[in-house]
Amino acid sequence: MTAQTAQSQAAPPSAAPEHRSKGQLIALIIAAVVALGGIALWVFQLAGGMVNTNMRNLDSWGIYIIFFMLFVGLSAGGLIISSVPKVFGIKGFGGISKIAVWVSICCTVLAVAFVVVDLGGPLRVWELFAYANLTSPLMWDIIVLTIYLIISIIYLWATLRAESGRSTAAALRVLSAIALLCAVLVHTVTAWIFGLQISHEFWYTALLGPWFVSSALLSGLALVLIVVVVLNRTGYLSLGQENLIKMARLLGVFTAVDLYFFGCDLLTSGFPGGQGGETVTLLTTGPLAGYFWAEVIFGIITMIIAFVPSLRKTSLILVASVLSVLAILCKRIQLLIGGFQIPNLDFASLSTGPDLSSGGQAFSSLGGSLIYFPSPLELGVVIGVLGLGVFLLLLGLRLLPLKPITRTTSDTADRD
Amino acid sequence: MSVQLGMAIDLKRCVGCHTCAVACKIENNLPDGNWWNRTTTEGGDAQDTPSGVYPNLKREYITLACQHCANPACVRACPVGATYKREEDGVVFQDYEKCIGCRMCIAACPYTGVRQYNWEEPKHAMDYAVGDADVPAHQKHTVEKCTLCAHRLARGEEPACINACPADARHFGDLHDLTSEVAQLIVQREYRQLLTDKGTEPSIYYLV
Ligand code: SF4
Ligand code: SF4
Ligand code: SF4
Repeated sequence: MTAQTAQSQAAPPSAAPEHRSKGQLIALIIAAVVALGGIALWVFQLAGGMVNTNMRNLDSWGIYIIFFMLFVGLSAGGLIISSVPKVFGIKGFGGISKIAVWVSICCTVLAVAFVVVDLGGPLRVWELFAYANLTSPLMWDIIVLTIYLIISIIYLWATLRAESGRSTAAALRVLSAIALLCAVLVHTVTAWIFGLQISHEFWYTALLGPWFVSSALLSGLALVLIVVVVLNRTGYLSLGQENLIKMARLLGVFTAVDLYFFGCDLLTSGFPGGQGGETVTLLTTGPLAGYFWAEVIFGIITMIIAFVPSLRKTSLILVASVLSVLAILCKRIQLLIGGFQIPNLDFASLSTGPDLSSGGQAFSSLGGSLIYFPSPLELGVVIGVLGLGVFLLLLGLRLLPLKPITRTTSDTADRD
Repeated sequence: MSVQLGMAIDLKRCVGCHTCAVACKIENNLPDGNWWNRTTTEGGDAQDTPSGVYPNLKREYITLACQHCANPACVRACPVGATYKREEDGVVFQDYEKCIGCRMCIAACPYTGVRQYNWEEPKHAMDYAVGDADVPAHQKHTVEKCTLCAHRLARGEEPACINACPADARHFGDLHDLTSEVAQLIVQREYRQLLTDKGTEPSIYYLV
């Protein structure tokens, strides 16, 4: 089905990209199959009940919300990479603007998808519009995310028009500014879903908003780098090394900022002792230590690669980018599970009572001590949603004129 | 002055018999696994174990259900208003028809485990419904919790767990009416409340 749609829609000659390898088509089909498998599992989850996940009342969110946070963050990079140079009139990163925005759009769609698979009653989502409760940070996020998605699409469309001379650079610049503002807002508001909840000591911090922005910049830029390096290899792009190096340096800076925020937060939690001290122990030596140290070590490796000139080779930049995305994934795991791990009321029959966290109990029988670990079904749905993402990405590359107009490595193409 | 229904639970009288928890379970025809009200040991490592070091041991019980907060964290967080505070009596109510199952409210409520999600099609140990006919049907993939027995309040009755207590440890009434039994008890006795540092202003008082 997908292959046919792809073929039939590729008709408009003006929009037809030349690069259309067989390998890409096969990848597209595989991604579609994976996505359909994910949808089947999701239907099973809805019909059979979310009891098939490992979420329970004491760990009521799981891997879906972890990936939701991750993908909201990933969506930042592309939009910021392409809009910042336009807004501030500085040199861009060599014509990757359109691909970067497309990556952004795909990530935003995935973020929405991860919320949808987490809902118990997806058929009731219309209520979000009918009965919107405007004091709910979740409601704010849904509004901002929707606006963000629409703006990203308009922005991509405007960029394409500007290239074909049908729109002015000034208009594009204004739109870039709006898109940039939205990007910053969307990460902050996503942070507020957690950061405004006084119920969980681990989440309740004013730093969470800016920190989500820094993590988003880091993981988003890393994702753009991964896509660019891969597309460079397959010949779709030919971005000069100097642009890669520029982005890699930026990656190092973002890592430093992100780890700096982490340090500030740990000190603020740990210094007075009490429940905050428990949080620090939980991270550094407790059940979440693996994720914590992975994040720190990945960050240090990324900075070394980014700041030592002789190490800035394409392959190592790719390694640093992958590690950056993994580091932020580790961060999101810590944030979500850590929030639930320490109960506010430590009463006997709450933590050991039936049905409160049986997912966690299943995991602890395997020797772990986390309250939550995803079930096979949850992992399957996540893989399915990721398949959808790859499908969208490849479809865009096939059908949309996302290639830089000039195949040179000069920056002029991006300056508009 | 507005009405705020609440409870005063006498921990000196509570014997940890679970009768209120079971009364709630039956009255509200709760699905398997859901306990809107729990009787739990406070201090000990496990249920029914004492705290302290021998010979200075204490075994204490406390019951935990939704605190019907005057400033409920859950109400502010729900994106569709499926959980809301009733103007007329201060009960924090739950609308199963509206709930989209996002579980934002569970994340927002500081009181561990009082909000419960139906992770599957509600199952019941008995193959016929028990409890009150006016209790709304439980729904898969929605959140539920203590409603202060809203169906009984509507008929002018007290919640089921109040009358069920064999130790007469549970008292119910309007906290804002200073002549009510609960208000009087709070004035006369020493009390504590759970997690006051979270600013939710719970309406359940524990007499100590
Ligand atoms: S105890 Fe929790 S669920 Fe009940 S009203 Fe307070 S915040 Fe809401
Ligand atoms: S789970 Fe239901 S009651 Fe709770 S916040 Fe979501 S919609 Fe509201
Ligand atoms: S008031 Fe009713 S619903 Fe609430 S704990 Fe008591 S019996 Fe259960």
